[in-house]
Amino acid sequence: MSRYPEFIALICVALAGNALAENHKKPAGHYGYGKPATAEEIAGWDIDVRPDGLGLPPGSGSVEDGEMLYETHCAVCHGSFGEGVGRYPVLAGGEDTLMEDRPEKTVGSYWPYVSTLWDYIYRAMPFTAPQSLTHDETYAISAYVLYLNDLVDDDFVMTQDNMASIELPNQPNFFGPDPRPDVQNTRCMKDCKDVSKITILSEPQPTEPEAEAVVEVASAAGAMAAAEQTYKSYCSVCHAQAIAGAPALEPADWESRIAQGKDVMVRHAIEGFQGDAGVMPPKGGFVQLSDDEVSAAVDYMLQQVQQP
Amino acid sequence: MQKLQQETDRLIQTVAREGDRLSGTDRRKFLRNGLTLLGGAAAAVTTGASAEEPFLPPAVPPWSKRLGPGVVTNPYGKPSPHEAHVVRRNVPWLTADRIASISFTPLGDLKGIITPSGLTFERYHAGLPEIEPQKHRLMIHGMVDRPLILSMDDLMRFPSTSMIRFLECPANGGMEWRGAQMDKLQFTHGMLACAEWTGVLLSTILQEVGVQKGASWILAEGADGAHMARSIPMDKALDDALIVYAQNGEALRPEQGYPVRLINPGWEGNTCIKWLRRLEIGDKPWHMREETSKYTDLMADGRSREFTFVQECNSVVTNPCPEKPLKAKGKYWIEGLAWSGRGKIKAVDVSFDGGANWRQARVTGLVLPRALTRFGLEWDWDGSPALIQSRAMDETGYVQPTYAQLRQARGTNSIYHKNAIHTWRLHADGQVTNVQIS
Repeated sequence: MSRYPEFIALICVALAGNALAENHKKPAGHYGYGKPATAEEIAGWDIDVRPDGLGLPPGSGSVEDGEMLYETHCAVCHGSFGEGVGRYPVLAGGEDTLMEDRPEKTVGSYWPYVSTLWDYIYRAMPFTAPQSLTHDETYAISAYVLYLNDLVDDDFVMTQDNMASIELPNQPNFFGPDPRPDVQNTRCMKDCKDVSKITILSEPQPTEPEAEAVVEVASAAGAMAAAEQTYKSYCSVCHAQAIAGAPALEPADWESRIAQGKDVMVRHAIEGFQGDAGVMPPKGGFVQLSDDEVSAAVDYMLQQVQQP
Repeated sequence: MQKLQQETDRLIQTVAREGDRLSGTDRRKFLRNGLTLLGGAAAAVTTGASAEEPFLPPAVPPWSKRLGPGVVTNPYGKPSPHEAHVVRRNVPWLTADRIASISFTPLGDLKGIITPSGLTFERYHAGLPEIEPQKHRLMIHGMVDRPLILSMDDLMRFPSTSMIRFLECPANGGMEWRGAQMDKLQFTHGMLACAEWTGVLLSTILQEVGVQKGASWILAEGADGAHMARSIPMDKALDDALIVYAQNGEALRPEQGYPVRLINPGWEGNTCIKWLRRLEIGDKPWHMREETSKYTDLMADGRSREFTFVQECNSVVTNPCPEKPLKAKGKYWIEGLAWSGRGKIKAVDVSFDGGANWRQARVTGLVLPRALTRFGLEWDWDGSPALIQSRAMDETGYVQPTYAQLRQARGTNSIYHKNAIHTWRLHADGQVTNVQIS
């Protein structure tokens, strides 16, 4: 091999080293770029909660309140008992499965800390409308998920003061630091094993049809293709599987809606709608979509439903 | 003027294309009319060949005898339409939907060590956020003397550094722990990429804000709907962590974290937070969902390792592979990729008999720490079935393990960090399948 690449690599290392060495000379504020972050600005974004309770805001929520909130916001994906719908995460159960062939990792069977539950619900849930829950609602749903795992009683109320003291059963089974490298192979070059004794242990059948290609929006021709993309990227989360009472792309689900007229459907899709069976958040929670995009997605779904 | 030129280009193209479809008198008539329309500018097309004429020597193909489109026809260049099959793909059954999901890099079609930005695998937890860079901010706070908010313009004023490093999801190959399951290279190893990343060393930013005594961890958080967050030890932050705004010479692609992301070279891709909006400095890890419920390694005894950051030494043969079968017996350039999160690749060996005998391959390009490294060797295939493997060793002396060794140490439930020696079964007809062998 030429020495040239190594030379380049050496220069890279030297330069990186210099950059770090130079850093050591610079005092805080040396560059002075940007603006100081005020306490108020930090408070708006500082959402993380640590196992010891650092970062947990004041508030409280009961199992009782949590049940209703859970049914409204969570059960569509996670199931009424935390059993999970489709491939959405199972939240409850799975005790004593961690050494089995198919371990079921739930809040009760696997998660080490309650703080993670609170943090993640507040940070990222519900899936289609992250950061839409209040502090108290997050406390209540967290309490209810613990209740689903038989970890608290039905009169439990989670608060800023008691969260950190709730221990999850699997916490002692997490360990560090990383013990790797934990395997030691050797660089044998010749007669390392008996070729005659090699057997095939597993081999998947080749599949002919290609896995679904990621469609590039810009290359998709025509408005309906763009609408289809909008549907697949955003609407299908619920509408493909009739989640949250959403009508699937089945004619029977749409008859009454079509009878109301398209304008009503588009308005409900854009502004949101509370029905008997479920809820349509404004633009499905994807508020970055324009009204036209939502309207076109409704057209696409109607076309799918009404095609012979 | 430019518009006129574009129009002329378009007409020349149309004339040439339409001319190709016609023959004899019709074609001559069409071309004459076309040329009348265009004047003398399109004289070259009169010699255009029809589609029926042969392309290969001694014939001259039609594209050699006519004009093509002018510059800036594609202001941002695209791959040839003949490469349309080289795309990221997903595996629908892996995840509940495509919004919190992953796509795979088409490794079998790539050359060298740099992954094109548009083919770099994607991992989203709440879909792709559409961020306006002028309204994006990076906040740094916690145990610091000067809590700071930086705009993208602010960030780009700091001293800039570039490094070529791989990026790999720790779940790469995770579907294979219990046995060979995926039928293509794209899906067995495609949560992998390598790029030149450009940005500001995290250590520079930490000096600027003044880290307080006792600080030992940093929380990095994204601006996506999932607000994906991971705890990063201070040692890594001061070593080589990079706040990145450019990939392969241009602004990050949205899928890769536009306008700014973190890269922790050699570490779990999951720690390389995209759409980076916040860095909080603290004295303990946060135990986020993505470092407790996920990205922890469940052992056979029911205990779990946490914070297993390093992507250990790994390799795979990329040609042949299921997507690239061999056509007939003869001499082949067998090649593949090797990488290690602990440093440089020192050697790669290849076996054609399922691991009994090995030959050292040649490294065919740059050897950089924590970067993809391309290897290859010549092989004369006699047409009989073979079991092809590669085995990499890094500069620490660590040798890529076998499946048996990995399973003995960790069982089959750990999902992450599978770096076992991989086997392709070459059949007598040249087809290649994914297998695990004794």
